[in-house]
Amino acid sequence: MSNFDAIVVGGGINGLVAGAVLGRKGKKVCIIERADRFGGMASYAVDGGPSLAHALYNLSPRALKDAGIDVDRATFTGQQIDTVSLADDGNHIVFKANGVYWNDGSQHPQSKAWCELIQRFKTYGGLLRQLAEAPPPGGHSASLSRARLAEMLRLAKVGIGLKMLGKSEMRRFLQVVLSNVYDIVLDDLPDGPVAGMLAADAIRGAATGPRSPGTVFNLIYRLGHGGTITQPTGGMTAVVDTLVDGAKAADCTLLPGTEVSRILVDLDAVTGVQTADGQTLRAPLVLSNLASPLTSQLTGPSLFDIEATRRIRNIRARGTAAKVNLRLKDASPLPGLKSEQKDARLIYAPSADYVEAAFNPAKYREMSKAPVIEALRTEQPDGSHWVSAIVQYAPSDLDGGWTQEAQDRLAQITVDTLDCALPGLREQITDTQVITPDQIATATGAPGGHWHHAEMSLDQLLTLRPANGISRYAFGPKGLFLCGAATHPGGDVMGLAGRNAALMALEVQK
Amino acid sequence: MSIFVDPKLGLIPSPFHASLAEQNRAHSWYDWAGYAAPSVLDSMEFEYFALRNQSSLFDISPMHKYRIAGPDAAQMLNRLVTRDIRKIKTGRVGYAVWCDEEGMVIDDGTLFHLGDDDWRLCCQEPMLTWLLDAAWGFDVVVKDETHDVAGLSLQGPTSFAVLEAAGLDVAHLKPFDLVKIEPDLMISRTGFTGDLGYELWCAWDKAEALWDRIWQAGTHQGLRAIGYDALNIARIEAGFLTAGVDFQPVHATERLHRGQTPFELGLGWLVDFEKGHFNGRRALLSKQHAQRSLLLRCDVEGFKPAQGALIYNGRKREVGHITSGIWSPTAKKNVALAHVRMPDAQRASRLMAEIYTLEEGKWDTRMARLTPVQGAFFAPPRARATPPART
Repeated sequence: MSNFDAIVVGGGINGLVAGAVLGRKGKKVCIIERADRFGGMASYAVDGGPSLAHALYNLSPRALKDAGIDVDRATFTGQQIDTVSLADDGNHIVFKANGVYWNDGSQHPQSKAWCELIQRFKTYGGLLRQLAEAPPPGGHSASLSRARLAEMLRLAKVGIGLKMLGKSEMRRFLQVVLSNVYDIVLDDLPDGPVAGMLAADAIRGAATGPRSPGTVFNLIYRLGHGGTITQPTGGMTAVVDTLVDGAKAADCTLLPGTEVSRILVDLDAVTGVQTADGQTLRAPLVLSNLASPLTSQLTGPSLFDIEATRRIRNIRARGTAAKVNLRLKDASPLPGLKSEQKDARLIYAPSADYVEAAFNPAKYREMSKAPVIEALRTEQPDGSHWVSAIVQYAPSDLDGGWTQEAQDRLAQITVDTLDCALPGLREQITDTQVITPDQIATATGAPGGHWHHAEMSLDQLLTLRPANGISRYAFGPKGLFLCGAATHPGGDVMGLAGRNAALMALEVQK
Repeated sequence: MSIFVDPKLGLIPSPFHASLAEQNRAHSWYDWAGYAAPSVLDSMEFEYFALRNQSSLFDISPMHKYRIAGPDAAQMLNRLVTRDIRKIKTGRVGYAVWCDEEGMVIDDGTLFHLGDDDWRLCCQEPMLTWLLDAAWGFDVVVKDETHDVAGLSLQGPTSFAVLEAAGLDVAHLKPFDLVKIEPDLMISRTGFTGDLGYELWCAWDKAEALWDRIWQAGTHQGLRAIGYDALNIARIEAGFLTAGVDFQPVHATERLHRGQTPFELGLGWLVDFEKGHFNGRRALLSKQHAQRSLLLRCDVEGFKPAQGALIYNGRKREVGHITSGIWSPTAKKNVALAHVRMPDAQRASRLMAEIYTLEEGKWDTRMARLTPVQGAFFAPPRARATPPART
């Protein structure tokens, strides 16, 4: 039996950050991970293929800082990458930080409009980030407590930030923030690959189409940390290793390959956890990186109010993004791409209408026949070359289930789609890997294989994330906290959920 | 909860409807959970005095009944209700309340411990979806038996003799005991009158035969079928609460803060903080000493029933209202149940009820002093005697 001040169940990104934050505050922390390696969903991979997450765009410097990790490390700064929207006619479009260009280097006519739109969303993202970097408002009873004052100040800052936008811009913000990306983008742009790229970024990982309400928010969320996309040096494994180092530096005890079989509670207060191999670890604080239904099952449903269990059962988390990894025969460049585009993020989304049409089958539990794809070329440590693709829509609850035949079909559709825009790609592929949402769910415990553990929709945000009554991380018995991507502010390899939960746990413990 | 029910659907006949209709000379039916239930059969006074001096039959089939069975039944129920149900042994019945996450009472009812891992919950409000939610994560099966199990309440000092005459020996049954006396018949020594009495439970299709059997046995015991009006007087005398009248089942309220905690209803004795977590426990811990109002049992000055009267403290400040008020024919007292806000409820010496009277076209008010009392207004020892007396 070992004694700790806090135990973190689940060593994903948020679990590692939460552990490190607590460790740096002088707590004796133990981070337990079922798998043999840390990183959870971000670094999940099969047979040496690329990991689920393949680029960073939302990792929070605030979370890293509180976890004691140097933000400017090469791992994170890595290589900033452009986005290339693939066209079947080979006339691809390149999105750079300063504008949109044709394949031949000339400026795209919608470059200015795109820049303005992105800039606007980045401004909004900056405003909303202040909300993300703190627990959702509410929950203080004493009106003059320190935490309450800090919260009032924070909200005031958001309010002032909004005011500072100016009257018309503030009105516009309030107009667009709850709206759908399709309408807002097509207000400023004709439908085509530029609009398609924005639509695709707005729905990635979500069970929504561009016309679904709240998708503008998803896009703003993506741009919340500036929108710069980097391919981390050494891949996602290196990112996870850095976070693991951070946790170790904060004197956390790391227990990989250990499964928690029970969260122990006595007199309505957490006392520790029991592991599947029979160990009992004691701590008055348990942070669970797992989804809330799983957490409540580990703790025992009788310890939660009936309303709470009802709400967590109704959290919507339907994964729609599958990972398709295409193994390339060698290091030769992808056909049809210029040399400076070889590491770019490739998007296949010819128009916003295309993205919406791709969503239609998912409503009826079918996979898209013409999917939206985000692909990156990566080299694995063993020297193998891959195209790492996120393919939507591939719903977790596919009609008939994700049989081998269905997986093969998805791989086929992915190759066919990419091969249209990159003719000859097919010949370079020697092998394919398909990681379906239900596989992700089984391997990582993320409900529905959803990468935010819970849909990022307006009814599941802020004080309603993951559900009403548990938005401030505390869940059921005293000392039990949720710290996973299902909590505010959400996932995306961001780390803020874990960091917020850790700070909240410290505040409540005081 | 204002659930719209199409009036064209009409009311459902209860399993005893034929027998009741035959005796319902007043033709006075009311809607009880969708069933046609008698409020008065011929005269409320006759029915009431039959209940207190002879015996009475009242159809309780419209009550909601839920079977909860399975290895985790006790655990699931213990999380649901505020009391420790492990103390209700097999063959016993327990009164219980259950609360929402804010500690507000959802409903009260009786829990029948039928056998190992086998329980029945009997209550006023529809509770199926709540019970299904409560069952999540537990190895139990919840079954709605509302329309499968018929119930008949036989109450009054001769009720034991009636059962004896019907060939049913329940001499050994103590209050809150239950027994499966015949394959198709369960009898519990329970009731809503505070008197000696039994509740008889059988399958829906056996109901008419049961009625006939009891009716014939009651010929020499002054047995009378009664409606709700008579029962209501008896239950107020016993100090029992009616959902929707003396407290507002919180799931049925639409306005904020209409719910009440068990402590506010004087049911704090049903709350066991030591048994482990139960629904609303965390909220109740912080609310147990912060009652917003209290339910008081009051002796009312004068003889005018105080139903619906507003309550004042010192003739000026309005501090509450009477939820149930009657002239008690047996206690020979004017009695009432009242909600009085805090802290006036604890400084109760100057509470006055403003009673409205309508006498032959003339409305009037009179101020009546309220004197809070402890316990029931009428609690005869015969209700508890075992074996019970025959008359």
